[in-house]
Formats: sequence, C-alpha cells, structure tokens
Amino acid sequence: MHAQSTSFVDRPSRVKPRLKGWKTLLSHHAFRRMVQWAFFLYILYLMVRHVVIGEDSGVVTASPEAFCPFGGLETLYQYLTAGGTFVSHTHLSNVVVFVALALTALLLRSAFCGWVCPLGFLQDLMSSFSRYLQKRLPGLRKALASLKQRGARLAFLDRYLRFVKYLVLVWAVGGSAYYGFMVFRDVDPWAAFLNLAEFSFTPGVVVLAITLVASFFVERPWCRYACPLGAFSGLLGKLSPVYLKREGSACKVCQICTKACPMGLPVHTATTIKNADCVACLECVGACPRQGALEVKIGLPLIGS
Amino acid sequence: MRIHPHVFGALVLAVFLGTILAFQAGGFWSVSGKVSVGGEAVQPSADDVNTIKGWMTLEQITSTYNVTLEQILTQFQLPADTPAFAAIKDLESEAFSVTELRLWLEAQSSPTPSDASVMPESDPAVPFVAPTATPVSAVEAPVPTEHLVVDKQVTGKTTFQDLLYWGVPQAAIESTLGVEMPAPSTVIKDFVTGKGLEFSPIKTQLQAEVDQSQ
Repeated sequence: MHAQSTSFVDRPSRVKPRLKGWKTLLSHHAFRRMVQWAFFLYILYLMVRHVVIGEDSGVVTASPEAFCPFGGLETLYQYLTAGGTFVSHTHLSNVVVFVALALTALLLRSAFCGWVCPLGFLQDLMSSFSRYLQKRLPGLRKALASLKQRGARLAFLDRYLRFVKYLVLVWAVGGSAYYGFMVFRDVDPWAAFLNLAEFSFTPGVVVLAITLVASFFVERPWCRYACPLGAFSGLLGKLSPVYLKREGSACKVCQICTKACPMGLPVHTATTIKNADCVACLECVGACPRQGALEVKIGLPLIGS
Repeated sequence: MRIHPHVFGALVLAVFLGTILAFQAGGFWSVSGKVSVGGEAVQPSADDVNTIKGWMTLEQITSTYNVTLEQILTQFQLPADTPAFAAIKDLESEAFSVTELRLWLEAQSSPTPSDASVMPESDPAVPFVAPTATPVSAVEAPVPTEHLVVDKQVTGKTTFQDLLYWGVPQAAIESTLGVEMPAPSTVIKDFVTGKGLEFSPIKTQLQAEVDQSQ
C-alpha cells in the first residue's frame, strides 16, 4: 500500500491547495466550529434566561435540560409504557430532540457528537487551548510529550476503557426505566454544567471538572470513555449508509489524519472507517493533504461499499 | 458517491433541526410542565389534585381548591408570614410536600359514600366546591393506602390493581375502557390520558362500577 502511494508523491495535482488568510474561514473546520458555537451559545442563552427570568414570572422559560437528547432516551421507557408521562426533569422536547439525534445517527453516523453536542465542543475548546499553549510554551510542549511517552505503556487500556460508556448507557437507561427517575443525572457532567448558573452543585460538577482538565491532555475523554449518548449514537450509526473511505493508492500514510482525529482512531491504517467511536467531525478529511485520499462516501449500511 | 464535508455539515443541520421543526409544526413539542403540548398554561384542576405541581404557588392552590392560605399554613405548620406567591417546592420539608398537600386536599374534598354516585366530576357544568365546614385542625392527613382502600374512590392515582381489589371484574374495566386492560400496576389516569382520552368521564364510569360492586 505504501509502495503504491509513493507513486503519487510528486504529482502536484494530487495535493490539496492550502487555504490561507481569510480563506481559512471557508474550510469545513471553520464551518464546524461555527455550528458548534451556535449551539453552545444558544444553550448559554437558555441558561441565563432561565436564571434571570426565573420560574415565578408569567413567562414560561424553558430549562436548558429540556433540550437534552439523553433526557429523551432516559424518559423514553416511561413515556412509552406509562401513557405519555415523563421522569422528572424531562419533557416532550427531550423526546423530540432524542428522535432528531437518532435520525441523524441513522443517516449520518454520530454527527451529532461531532457537530452539535456542546459538551463535546467544550472538550474541543480545552484541547485547542492546550495546543495553543504548547505552541507558545516549548517547556509545556516538552513536558506533555514526555508525559505522553511515559504513559504509552498504558495505551493498551484505551481499547478496554472505551467499553465503559456502554456500561454507563445500560446503567443510565436501565436505571431510569426501573426506578422511574434519572439515576445518572447526579453524576452527569452536562446536567451539572446546565445547573451551574443556579449554583446547584452535584457530583456531576466534579465529573465535569475532571473531564475538562483531562481534555487538556487527551482529546474528548468523556466522549471516548464514558458518554452514554455517544455510545447509543455510535451503535445506531453503524446502520448509517455514510462512511469514510481511505484510498490506498492516493494515501502517503503521513498519519496526519490519525493525529487530527479527536477520538484517537487509527484512520491511516483503515480502508473504511465505520468505527462506532467516529463522531463524523471530518477533521481527518479536512486535514488530509492529498486529493481523494480520504473522503466521505455513501454506501450500503453495515457493509459500507 | 462522494459527499463534500461542507455538504455533510449542511445535511447534519438539515436532518437534526428539520426533525425538531417538523415535530414542532405538528404540535408535538413542550419544554415545560407549565404549558401543555397545545401551548396552554397548565393550571391546577379542582377535579384532580394530581394536577398540582411543585412549581405552583399557594395562591393557585387556595383559589382552585377553596381553602384559605391560613388553613394550609396551619395544617402543615408553615411560617405564618409565608407569602401566597411562594412555590410549593420552595416550602418542602418533612411535613410538607406536593404529595402531602394532594392527600390533604383530596381528604378535604372526598364526598361521603352516600353521595359517591353523584360525584361533581361527572358533570363538568357543576362547579366543584370542596366542603369547608370541617375545621382544618380536626382533619388529619391520611395514610395513602388506607385512604385509597377504605374510601374506594377512583382518583388520578388509582391503579387497575386497586379496581380489581375492590371487586370490579376485569371485563367491566375493559368494557369501560373499550380496550384491553394493561398491566394491573398501571395508573388508570396515565393509561387513559396516554390514549388521548379525557380522564374525567372514564373515572366517573369506573367509579360507578366500583359502587355497583360493593
């Protein structure tokens, strides 16, 4: 595969033109960031409005929790079996947003996680901040590189820890169905974030803090190891007709795609990327310097061709 | 077929937001317990104490259930200077909660067995007036199960199991509902409203079945 790809090395037509200056705003990365910012700011607006206007006025102010798709998944069992009732802190809107997420996953894999999820965006911001500091502080860059090297022996844990999110999914959804309330809410970092403005402190605040600090060292740690919504979306996304295709004949195996992947997937070794952990952010596609080496394709669900 | 990353992003927005907008356009959307799916403000109903929610104020309760603020404050040993606009959930303690308030109001409004067959709920035109002759201090909040079993009143909390226990045959329940009876542990009101039906008329019919079976 490597021998094949070397035949394209010197062909300038196969190299993507690099966007410079204001044209970088036209990149897919900038577009994705803009979408993430829009959803994040909307949630912030809901949080502030809910606190400022409060619940005692005549105006109904929606809690930002009413827009959480995972709340929809947690309340779904009760909604379907108990005549349209909901577990506490959830409403019909949660179910609707959850259905929208499920449909998105069925058609476009876990694109919700990569393009919409504000908690994923918060982690992305922390990782970007880490990269920014490392560029400007060589000492920090060396220290983190050294830490990464020493931690490499624990890399085997990564593949096992990724299964934890499925256990969290079973516990959170099964617990809600069995007990009739959201067993996961107290440790949910997203619920904790949404209630920070109301000075409501739960164990979830600690989980949120750990997640954000860990994002400084590892990209999207919550998404990789513990997010039950990502676990559900990833599994459903397996049925999606969309997949990533790496064209071996055009690829130089430069590993830029793997380095760009926030979920730490080995993109450069795969021919088709259908991993449940892929959040369809397409950072790998955007980062790939070669024309046609890595593309988003539509094919048969599960088979991917 | 290849998809450009920009097109992919646009598709994500179209599918995700489009689905939500489609549900909203169909009237299938509610972000708060304070408004119904139809967008109307949710108010406590004099017919059903289960419509009381934690965010409701004492003022809403006093104006709906024909009790005074003083009666509530005395019954639940709340501070005398508690304002009428205080939300129930903000006053919750060991002695006072939404459930306790519901039970107390239900006890206040329960008709005697002799007039159970002419419950005011059966006729929407008849305004509900809770009896207030009994001094509040003389009324004790009953234990829930005792209350439900002894009074044999169909309320928003009654389950199908309760009806069976009270001697109503399953066939009579199914005849009233017009559908097969679900799991006995199901709350009747939840089941009925889940089918998109009004609870009040079915409650009246089931109450008649309960009275007949006695």
